[in-house]
Amino acid sequence: MTTFIELLVNGVSIGSVYALIALGFVIIFKATEVVNFAHASLLLVGGYVIAVLHEDLGFWLALVAGVAVAAVVGALVEFCVLRRSRAGDQHVLAIVTIGVDILLTTELTRRIGTDVLAMGDPWQSQVVQIGGISIAQTRIAALVTAATLITCFLLAFRYTSWGIAMRAAAEDRETAALMGVRLSRVSMGAWAVAGALAAVAALFLTVFPTPGLDRSTSLVALKAFPAAILGGLDSTTGALVGGLIIGLAESLAAGYQNDVTFLGRGIGEVVPYLVMIVILLIRPAGLFGTRELARV
Amino acid sequence: MKSTLRMTAVTAVALALAAGAAGCASDKATGGSGGAGADGVKQGPGVTDKTIKLGVATDLTGVYAPLGKSLTQSQQLYFEQTNAAGGVCGRKIETVVRDHGYDPQKAVSIYSELSTSVLAIPQFLGSPMVTAVKQRIESDKMFTIPSAWSTTLLGSEPIQVTGTTYDVDMINGIEWLLSKKLIKKGDKLGHVYFEGDYGGSALRGAKFAADKHGLTIVEQKIKATDNDMGPQVAALSKAKVAAILMSAGPRQSASLAGIARSQGMKQPILGSNSAFSPQLLATPAKPALVEGFFFTSAGAPISADLPEVKKLADAYAKKYPGQPMDSAVVSGYGNGAIVVSALKKACEAKDLTREGLIKAHRSDANADTGLGTPMNFTYFDKPATRKTYVLQPKDKIPGGAVIVQEATESELATTYQPPVGSY
Amino acid sequence: MSSALSRALRPTVIAAVAGLVVMLVIPFYAEPFLLQAGLFAMAAAIGAIGLNLLTGSTGQLSMGHAFFLAVGAYGYVYFAGDSGHELSGLGLPTPLAAVLAVVLAGLAGGLFSPIAGRLRGTYLGIASLALIFIGQHILHNAHAITGGANGRDVPPLELAGFSFADTPELVVFQVPLRALEKLWFLALLLLLAAAWVARGILRGRPGRAMGTIRDHEIAAGVMGVPVARYRAGVFVLSSMYAGLAGVLLAMAFRRTVPDYFGIILSLEYLAMIVIGGLGSVAGAVAGAAFVSLLPPLFTRYGDGLPLIAAPGAEGVSPAEASRILYGAAVVAVVLFFPGGLLGVWGRVRASLAARRTSHPLTRMEPEEQPT
Repeated sequence: MTTFIELLVNGVSIGSVYALIALGFVIIFKATEVVNFAHASLLLVGGYVIAVLHEDLGFWLALVAGVAVAAVVGALVEFCVLRRSRAGDQHVLAIVTIGVDILLTTELTRRIGTDVLAMGDPWQSQVVQIGGISIAQTRIAALVTAATLITCFLLAFRYTSWGIAMRAAAEDRETAALMGVRLSRVSMGAWAVAGALAAVAALFLTVFPTPGLDRSTSLVALKAFPAAILGGLDSTTGALVGGLIIGLAESLAAGYQNDVTFLGRGIGEVVPYLVMIVILLIRPAGLFGTRELARV
Repeated sequence: MKSTLRMTAVTAVALALAAGAAGCASDKATGGSGGAGADGVKQGPGVTDKTIKLGVATDLTGVYAPLGKSLTQSQQLYFEQTNAAGGVCGRKIETVVRDHGYDPQKAVSIYSELSTSVLAIPQFLGSPMVTAVKQRIESDKMFTIPSAWSTTLLGSEPIQVTGTTYDVDMINGIEWLLSKKLIKKGDKLGHVYFEGDYGGSALRGAKFAADKHGLTIVEQKIKATDNDMGPQVAALSKAKVAAILMSAGPRQSASLAGIARSQGMKQPILGSNSAFSPQLLATPAKPALVEGFFFTSAGAPISADLPEVKKLADAYAKKYPGQPMDSAVVSGYGNGAIVVSALKKACEAKDLTREGLIKAHRSDANADTGLGTPMNFTYFDKPATRKTYVLQPKDKIPGGAVIVQEATESELATTYQPPVGSY
Repeated sequence: MSSALSRALRPTVIAAVAGLVVMLVIPFYAEPFLLQAGLFAMAAAIGAIGLNLLTGSTGQLSMGHAFFLAVGAYGYVYFAGDSGHELSGLGLPTPLAAVLAVVLAGLAGGLFSPIAGRLRGTYLGIASLALIFIGQHILHNAHAITGGANGRDVPPLELAGFSFADTPELVVFQVPLRALEKLWFLALLLLLAAAWVARGILRGRPGRAMGTIRDHEIAAGVMGVPVARYRAGVFVLSSMYAGLAGVLLAMAFRRTVPDYFGIILSLEYLAMIVIGGLGSVAGAVAGAAFVSLLPPLFTRYGDGLPLIAAPGAEGVSPAEASRILYGAAVVAVVLFFPGGLLGVWGRVRASLAARRTSHPLTRMEPEEQPT
């Protein structure tokens, strides 16, 4: 039973980090209908800035700087690349983000080189004991941060003018534009927010128990794809639920791999995708996604 | 119909023209080179009167870049020193360094280039990469030292796996745990290992030792993208293992050790030689790694008290200041020495062809580079040595590790028959 | 007669002849390295044509292309390979094995098409990503069939007693033809055939139907295009192209390597069709050549270029330079040349043609210019 609870806690805490990344995907998709494959590199940008600056500025300032830089880079990608693209097709725009990702990742991994960069966070490897189960402080911090940020966004979507503009843009771009919503500002804002979220996620992906940021960190962003899609690409609640489902599925599959050896060992990485396929078969637009209705 | 006709015409014209052009003299028509140099030494590909070209196929931009960089730099250092001392056979050594970024397709392309331009490959990083071109290495008789220690690469005359294989390391490691009373017969051992031949080889060794000592192995297979060892630790803690074997990357070791210690698990952790890198000691993972974490290695650590190693440590620190000195530095340097020693022997026999080089290399039954264990190169279906060091991470030491047990060959390891060409 | 002659001397025809001549002559001169890179490029071109039918022409984003390549490659090895120690194989004649492998890839595509049929656009793209991870898991775990992480040796193709292996060498014009040279001709033949078939499909009724589905699915349905059937059919066809590319890749590799068929490969194929030009056969070929030739050429000849450091030294290494160039190419194509490399070529040709024709007396707006 303890094992189960431990796996559960582990899954929820890592799932909340996936949810942060997935939320970034969802925000960009809502605002621009583009799937952002460059998210992995935004993650790396944020993490790199935090890791490099924390010794000079101290952790908190470095975190702020990392979030700011990642947000600016996200906005720049929108401003310099996506906005100027003449291709109207969303698939082509998705593919252009692959190009951006290659560019940014190559430069960042070149800078990181062969090092493992520590983040200098205040939690280090301390743990908290709750009812016989020890939980790393970093994980609690991740959970609290993710919950706070996601709540903020849900509220912002509902009540701020930015959120309303974004929802209007997601609903019907042309009508929104006619009603005076500045689409360019909405989409740039979305990219900046996604960048900022990616930086926060990068922090929690590279602190304890992971030793730090290195060139392979960006690979984790891939796990947020199934999270975003099974919740529904245009649903913020979906990102949260999707992230948690993926985190739990992965954690439980890895923890109980000795009981399911008939599937082959090391199934942990595959399970998120299996879960995603099953959910998509039942609900093609994800759990909370809006179904596209076609009227002729 | 018309277009079919036109296409036929186009093809016919093209074929005729091509036949004409192909008929012209081509460089390739001359066939294999060879022949002897001015000094009467028979020369193979990549050898001239002035130079011997050696190929390096490594990873400088992919996931194994830290390993590839250390290996390549130390190897360059060795060849520079050799050239400064007059070269080999009156010829200077030239290296052709190619970066495959751990991409098999690039590795195959790179090998195609090297296959015609160099005499031997003193470093070929990554066992999937070497396996991909193994057939060609055999038919080209290209003397190759892979920078991978899985049993998959055994059994091939031109391929020299240096040091021990992962399975032998694990057997020696488990024997060491038993001898130190860290585990006892009947215990359960957890083994966290990478999917693939690295983890597979290590697991095979662990199972062999477990069988002989009545131990049980609790397997946890992971992939290179798994960074969080929480679920694995939870599962091993539930299984009440007495020690954890670790055959994965440094990140996974750090995560595993960190979580286990934070949950109060005091079991010793024993890693394969690729499970640790000194860079980890600069991260928050340090406290968990300097206590109760050990790893095996066929090569001596750079902190070892051997004159050759000390010389290397000084020269390396001078040439590449501030760069990490992991075990790959010793390994790369040693492999350079092995190739140069084979070249020297081949030179004495006046045969610097690929066949001559392999013959010279395979005649060495007790090769001692002074960097660790002497090796026997006369067979290729068994590891060249079965002696393993047990090391422990330690802060503020070059290379970040100290010797806990000198290179030792356990009795069990001598009776072990490694699988050849598989894992 | 003169009109036939002038038609025969049209630039496109001359270019086709010249291109074919060059491709046929290359094996007699080029070193193994170039042949190897060229072989990979031709195999990639076949795969890219298939993906372009699906993504470029029908508008279905697929990130699972690498999976179908793997099915082709491993299918061939399994059908042609012999059962031996720890491995099983059917030991079929190699040409039959190659055909079966392509069919198997098509079947795999057919099995996935119920999912493909239910999902739209981006959802399909990311769902197909699952194929990659599931595929990797199978490749690593189904030891008896795939050889696990080790992979398996690929039996050389034997066609009516003629073996596509290093030995026996075939000497033509005093040039010994080994495996690479022989495979080059095979790959060229398969590529031409694959391109010809795809062109036929795109220019005919199915091509127009696919374009309509891409541009407006509902309109296509209303106009009587059996949308679901077409979507499934194109998925199967594209998988078969990938399967053929996989068979050829396996032969070029001579050993299957599971790690190769990962997500990066899928992304590379997407980059190929975007760089080359979406929806056209020639574009796919051009993009495949660009993406697969750039890295090896940079690694090989990068030392001589300015601004590029030797591997291992500080600065931008050849491998990084080629990645940067490749990323930049994807971005630049989408920003500045929406038609891809093919579009660039089209514009050049149009401007050449415009220069040759006499200038009109009245000045026209650019969009009114004859093209």
